[in-house]
Amino acid sequence: MHENIANIENSKRAKKKEHANQSRENRNMAMMMPPRLNPTDSASGPKQHQTWSPYDNNGGTCVAIAGADYCVIAADTRMSTGFSILTRDHSKIFVISETCALASSGFQADISALQKNLDARHQTYQHQHGKQMSCPAMAQLLSNTLYYKRFFPYYAFNVLGGLDDQGKGCVYSYDAVGSYERVGYAAQGSGMQLIMPVLDNQLKSASPLVLPKRETATPLTEAEAVDLVKDTFASAAERDIYTGDGVEIVTINARGIQKQYMELKKD
Amino acid sequence: MRLDFGGLDPVSLQRISSADAGFDLPCNPIGSAPSFHLPAVADLDGFEKAAVDMVKPLHGTTTLAFVFKEGVIVAADSRASMGNYISSQNVKKILEINPYLLGTMAGGAADCQFWQRNLGTRCRLHELGNKRRISVTGASKLLANTLYSYRGMGLSMGTMIAGWDETGPGLYYVDSEGGRVKGKRFSVGSGSTYAYGVLDSGYRWDMTVEEAVELARRSIYHATFRDGASGGVASVYYVGPDGWKKISGDDVGELHYKYYPVSEAAAEQEVVMKEASSAS
Amino acid sequence: MAEAAIALPPKGGFNFDLCKRNAMLEKNGIALPRFRKTGTTIVGLVFKDGVILGADTRATEGEIVCDKNCEKIHYMAPNIYCCGAGTAADTENVTDMVRSQLELHRYATNRESRVVTALTMLKTHLFGYRGQVSAALVLGGVDVTGPHLHTVYPHGSTDTLPFATMGSGSLAAMSVFESRYKEDMDKEEGMEIVSAAICAGIFNDLGSGSNVDLCILTKGKTEYLRNYQKPNPRSYIRSKGYDFARGHTAILSTRITPLKDQVTIIEGDAMEE
Repeated sequence: MHENIANIENSKRAKKKEHANQSRENRNMAMMMPPRLNPTDSASGPKQHQTWSPYDNNGGTCVAIAGADYCVIAADTRMSTGFSILTRDHSKIFVISETCALASSGFQADISALQKNLDARHQTYQHQHGKQMSCPAMAQLLSNTLYYKRFFPYYAFNVLGGLDDQGKGCVYSYDAVGSYERVGYAAQGSGMQLIMPVLDNQLKSASPLVLPKRETATPLTEAEAVDLVKDTFASAAERDIYTGDGVEIVTINARGIQKQYMELKKD
Repeated sequence: MRLDFGGLDPVSLQRISSADAGFDLPCNPIGSAPSFHLPAVADLDGFEKAAVDMVKPLHGTTTLAFVFKEGVIVAADSRASMGNYISSQNVKKILEINPYLLGTMAGGAADCQFWQRNLGTRCRLHELGNKRRISVTGASKLLANTLYSYRGMGLSMGTMIAGWDETGPGLYYVDSEGGRVKGKRFSVGSGSTYAYGVLDSGYRWDMTVEEAVELARRSIYHATFRDGASGGVASVYYVGPDGWKKISGDDVGELHYKYYPVSEAAAEQEVVMKEASSAS
Repeated sequence: MAEAAIALPPKGGFNFDLCKRNAMLEKNGIALPRFRKTGTTIVGLVFKDGVILGADTRATEGEIVCDKNCEKIHYMAPNIYCCGAGTAADTENVTDMVRSQLELHRYATNRESRVVTALTMLKTHLFGYRGQVSAALVLGGVDVTGPHLHTVYPHGSTDTLPFATMGSGSLAAMSVFESRYKEDMDKEEGMEIVSAAICAGIFNDLGSGSNVDLCILTKGKTEYLRNYQKPNPRSYIRSKGYDFARGHTAILSTRITPLKDQVTIIEGDAMEE
C-alpha cells in the first residue's frame, strides 16, 4: 500500500518535471534562445553523486613581465591535488608561436583542452593566412575561446605573453571566462596573492588610462626582470604549498625564444 | 571537445542576412556556429552558482553617464576585484563600440567585454546593410534583446549605451535581466549611490562641456573615496556631434590631493612644556 | 524548577553552547575563522635502547605556510616526549595540561613518570570531548618498565606499536617504516630511518615541510635534536636586493618634538657624572 502511494507520487512528480521542461523548451524556441542542453534529469538519467564536481584545482603559479623589447613568462612545474603532488615536472607554459606563449594554472585537464583548442585554431589560421598569428590577435582569440564556455568555464587562469607587432613586450591577463586586458606584468594562480604585491612594488608605472599619456612600460632590463622573477618564485615556494619543485622561465625577444629552468624547494 | 572554425572563415554576404534576421549566435555572429557548451550535471543552476564562486569573475564598479545640452558625458573608475582581491587597477570600463557609441561595464567583466564587442560587429553590419549608422535606440535594443534571450542563465551586466545619432544624443541603460530604459542620467555599480549623490546635486541641463566633465570626474572620485570596490583611474568621455572623445583620465589618488590639497606647512616646532618649568 | 536546573554552577572545562550557533552560521555561508593546522608528519620508533620521535616543522593555514620552523615535539616529562598533529592550539594545550599533571604527580609520588600514566591522562581527556579537541598524538618515552611508543587519536582511542606515524604525511612516512623497520636496531640506524620517514612526509605531503626534528629517549638520557636536518634551503636570492633610494616617500608635513627631561629632581642633588 505504502509503496503504491509512493509510486504514484513519484510518477506525478516526474510528469510535472517533464511538463516544466517542455514548457521551458517551447519558450526557448519562441525567444530563439540558444539550444539549451538539458542536463540529465536525476529521475530518468544516470545517478550523479551530489558532491561530484567536474573541476579540480591542480595549483601552480604563473608570472609574466613585459619590457620594452622582451617578455618574460614563468611558471612553476609542480602539479598537485589536495595535499599530494602528482608530478614535479609538469610544464604550465605552452609556446604557441614564435612571438607568443601562454602560461596557465588551475585545472590541468581544462588547460590541456584549451591549449589543444588554441593550437588547432592557430594551425588553421596559418594555413589560411600563410603567417603566424600576432600576439594581440592570439589574445583576442583566447578571450573568445574562454567566453564560448561561459556557462561551463575552463577552470584555467591564464597569462599570455609575447611581442606585439612593433616588437614591444606585451602581457595579457585573463579571468576564467575571458575578460582580459593588456598589462605590464601579471601573476595568476595559487601564489598570485603573494607575488603580485612584490611586482606592484617593483614595477608599477602609470596606468595606460591616464591622460595625458605617461610612460607605462616596466622599467627593468631583461636580466633584471629574470632576476626578479626567480626571486618571487623562490619566495612564493617558501609560503605557498602549491608552488615549488622548479620554475620554468621563457624569454621572448628579437633573438627568438629562450627557455631556462631553476630548481625550487621540493617540500 | 568541439572545435569551431567558423570564426576564421571569410565573411560572405549570404550569412549577413541570416544574422540580421535576429539570431544571436554567440560563437560567431555571422556563421552557423553552435551554442555555448553546458556541463552534464544534475543540478545546472547549482553548478553555475558554484562555478561563479570558483572562477570569481571580476566585479565592483562605479560608472555613470548623463545627457546635457552639448551631448553625453560617460565616466567610470577602473578597479576590478575578485572577491577580496583587487585584481586590476586599470580596467577599461568604458568600451568603445564604434566612433559614435560607447558602452560602460558593470557586473561580469567578460560578459560586458564579449557582448559589447559582439554589439560592435552587429552595428557595423547594420551600417553595411543599411548605408547609415545605427541609432543609439537600435543599438541598445540589439543588446537588450540578446541579453533577454540569455535571461536566467547567469549573465551579469549593467551597462549604459551612450552615443550620438541622427536624432542627437542618446543614452540607454540595459541590464542582464533584459531591462532597457531611456534616460537623462544614470549611474551603475557598487559605488553608484555615492556617485548619484554628487551627480544629482550638481546636474543642470545647460552646463558647458567643461562643467559637465568636472561634475562627472568629481562624482567618480567621491564614489571611489567611499566605495572600497571602486578605484584606480577616473576616465571621462564626452560624446558630441563628431563622435566620442576621451577628455581626461586621472588617478584618483592624485585627484584626492587636488580636491583636498595638503597645504605645505613649515616644520612645526612643539613648544617645550611650560608646566615642568613653572613647577620648579 | 527548570530554571533552577539551569542555574547550576559551571563545572569547568570547555563550553559547547555555541556549537549549534556556529553550525547554523556556517550553513548560512558565514566563514568561521581558520585554525592553524599543523598539516604534519610525525613519527615514532622503538629501537634497541629506547624510542626515537621525529617531526617536520611546517605549520599551515589553508594553503599558506604560516610557520616554517615550528616545534611539534612537545615536552611531557624528562623521560617522555609527545609529537602533536592536528589543530596546533589543541595539541599544545592538551600536552601542556598533561605535562603539569605529570609534574604534580612526580612531586606527590617522588617517582619517575610512566608513559602509560601520560597515555591514560591524554585518552581520558580526549575521549571526554568526543573528537572536538582535535589532537592526534605520538607519545613516546622510557620509564622503569622500558621503552614505550603509543599513538593517540583525537577521539581518545590509542595504539601501542613498535613504530607509528600520524598526520597528513603519515602514509608517506609509514611506507618507509614498513619497508625498512627491523627489530633491535641500533641508535644510528634508528635515527636514519626516522629522518628518512620524516623526509618522505616533507617531500611528498604538501601539508608537511621544512626541517626534521628528532628526539631520542633512552634509559636515563634524553637527546632533543632540533633541526637535525635542514633539507630545504631557499633556492634563490635576488642579487639586487630590495633597497629603496631616499625620497621615495613624500613628506606632507613635519612636526618636531624636542626631547624633554623625563625625570625632575624634587629633592636631593643630581647624581654626579
